[in-house]
Amino acid sequence: MWSGKRSIGLSKFCVLVFMGLLMGTVVVAPWLTAWFVSFSQTMQGAESLFMATIYIGAIPAAYLLHNLLQLLRRIEAGQVFITENVECLRRISWCCFAGAGVAAVSGFYYLAWLFVFVAAAFMGLIVRVVKNVVAQAVALKDESDYTV
Amino acid sequence: MPIVVNLDVMMAKRKMSSGELAEKIGISQANLSILKTGKAKAIRFSTMEAICKALECQPGDILEYREEE
Repeated sequence: MWSGKRSIGLSKFCVLVFMGLLMGTVVVAPWLTAWFVSFSQTMQGAESLFMATIYIGAIPAAYLLHNLLQLLRRIEAGQVFITENVECLRRISWCCFAGAGVAAVSGFYYLAWLFVFVAAAFMGLIVRVVKNVVAQAVALKDESDYTV
Repeated sequence: MPIVVNLDVMMAKRKMSSGELAEKIGISQANLSILKTGKAKAIRFSTMEAICKALECQPGDILEYREEE
């Protein structure tokens, strides 16, 4: 039977898979970029730029995944509408914007990065709205808890 | 908050303990403590009614408005 607890477990598993993928990408980045550059004939000599994008972009991505895991752990513990989660969502949103910034700059040497920029910025915006909703929910819960 | 809860004063006047009042009005001691320490953000009419009945007083005896300095 599917339950909320299993759903959180699946989400945590997915976050861990993404963490693994991120670490894998960082480790194999030199070979990955070399392969990509040799594959696309027009990007000769851009290995260092791709490497820079991957390594700089990995920082907000790792921080985002760390925050996501923290958020899921708190939700699993039944702590949903708390200020810490609002802060966590705020950090996740800023990580998305940071990733979008890195992708936007990278768009100058490889246009396809602009798709990543749009996707990350849009995701950041959605998370920011969710953060605002959770912040209101925290305020409502606080008021309800302190109504005697 | 400029609303001051004078529950302690009324309880002292009626010589009633927290446990006794909590039992009479049907709320937990923890909630009564929230009310007494001024941490409460709102009070239900039903709770106020029960307090007034238990302490034989008026809502004005429990709540007071004081201008913030």
